[in-house]
Amino acid sequence: MSFSMPPPPPTSYPIARDVQTVMPTAVDAGKTITVGTVKITTRKLPILNAQEIETMTERLGIAPPEMIFGNNIVSIEKMGAGGQSEWGIEFNALDALDLVDKTGNDMLKVAYSAAWQKQRERMHEGIKEVVKPFDWTYSTNYKGSVTGAKQFEPTQDQIPLDKLRRQDPILFFDDVMLYEDELADNGMSILSVKIRVMPSRLLLLARFYMRLDDVVFRIRDTRVFVEFEDGVVLREYQEREESYESVETKIPPYRDDKPAIMRDPNQMAEYLPLKSTVTEKLVL
Amino acid sequence: MPGLPVDLDACIERLYKRELLAEPVIEAICAKTKELLMRESNVVHILSPVTVVGDIHGQFYDLLEIFRIGGFCPDTNYLFLGDYVDRGLFSVETISLLVCLKLRYPNRVHLIRGNHESRGVTQSYGFYTECARKYGSANVWHHFTDMFDFLTLSVVINNDIFCVHGGLSPSIHSIDQIKIIDRFREIPHEGPMADLVWSDPDAERDEFALSPRGAGYTFGAQVVKKFLEINNFSHILRAHQLCQEGYQVLYDDRLSTVWSAPNYCYRCGNLASVLEVDDSGARFFNVFDQAPENADNRVDQQPVEKAQVEYFL
Repeated sequence: MSFSMPPPPPTSYPIARDVQTVMPTAVDAGKTITVGTVKITTRKLPILNAQEIETMTERLGIAPPEMIFGNNIVSIEKMGAGGQSEWGIEFNALDALDLVDKTGNDMLKVAYSAAWQKQRERMHEGIKEVVKPFDWTYSTNYKGSVTGAKQFEPTQDQIPLDKLRRQDPILFFDDVMLYEDELADNGMSILSVKIRVMPSRLLLLARFYMRLDDVVFRIRDTRVFVEFEDGVVLREYQEREESYESVETKIPPYRDDKPAIMRDPNQMAEYLPLKSTVTEKLVL
Repeated sequence: MPGLPVDLDACIERLYKRELLAEPVIEAICAKTKELLMRESNVVHILSPVTVVGDIHGQFYDLLEIFRIGGFCPDTNYLFLGDYVDRGLFSVETISLLVCLKLRYPNRVHLIRGNHESRGVTQSYGFYTECARKYGSANVWHHFTDMFDFLTLSVVINNDIFCVHGGLSPSIHSIDQIKIIDRFREIPHEGPMADLVWSDPDAERDEFALSPRGAGYTFGAQVVKKFLEINNFSHILRAHQLCQEGYQVLYDDRLSTVWSAPNYCYRCGNLASVLEVDDSGARFFNVFDQAPENADNRVDQQPVEKAQVEYFL
């Protein structure tokens, strides 16, 4: 083997056929569809820049998550005869994060925190200042931001899953990220919103998923269902939660892709027991 | 390279084409890399010119883009600040190429350890899964993660610019205190080694503060100033934090963050940069967008949009 000649730089490159990228562009800056009097809008833009992060930090009083899509929205509006919005529900990161606990009362600690603190006290007794405590898992019970006079009322009605299981044509679909954080390698926290619009109805799912390694799993789902013909809007909010220990025993041991499952909220939902459901209704 | 039963140049050529190396080849290369890294100090001293690269996270096409922008090895010297694996789709190809380049040009390529160069973190964030999927077993993951234990913790350029993955530690005032760390191990949860790969600057503060997470530190303006004075350096260069602009400069130009994964996770829409330090020691950020190969495959170019539609409930 000889090393007299360095390898030449490549002259051609492989094609990235298997990379699916979503680089937000003008196309994503505002997608919209109107069915009857209901207007659906989604917007996907890059993460916030330093200036925007500073502004958001000031408004929230806490540091935003690592990946913050502060300009993204999903909105559903009822349009009046004059083309103005009469009622609307919008999902955005700022309002979702405003509901994160900022007092430190609901604060979780990473699994090795106790050991870490002990070691630290021995070594650096001088450092007592804690960066303003807040729920750094960014757990939110956000159900969307409502505009207009009409208010949701509690209801016994259920979102009609049978109608939603039908493979009706999808006129409009989008999957919009609001924020994501890796909890400094101690798990993940992610809030994203999916919407699909069919000829007669629509379904929106805003899902918050949080995994704190060796501590807890958490899912908080807000579903918004709109039946276009009668203007019925149902909003269902569900909380799921389970300790890490108990989830580990539920995933079959023959599943060697456990890390991949634990990154996927859709697969994890079945392992987390339902803690609460609240359904509300209004008619447009 | 003496004692290495593989042709490194052939490996590098294959890797530039994004072809995987066979498992026994990876094993041999990792073993040889360990021998090489073992001889490096915890603080490696190098001279400019050098191009400094931040987090890559398996975004292989963007690594090739960096070489196209900054020059290929060995025409350009490179210092990589860690976080080569996890999140992106091509962690195996990325770390394979970087390790081969390090072996081939040991004095022109330097690799620092990031918090993702660890067994624990790579099990959760994608590298383990990718190794198992591409090689059918976890052996390759073991070879790489065993080698990660030997990566150095810091580099000093021109005796003037201190380079590390994360940041400073309350246990470290002088770089002599870095030199005595026993680094040949998994990254621990606490102590100076953890702080170096972990901590973040906080521009609002002067001193060290505890993270609300219950483990880890942030460091402020006075900490940076004092560290630079004690060691007679002028600048700290680190990676570790995503920034939309591709870089961030803090504390009156005493610290920079360099981020080298554009459109992070293929959806953040952020820019990336590499930092070029020229012969005179002057710093220049070269900012770039995601690789055109990624863009060729843009999702909004029609049929894909339909394919993504799902009947979620």
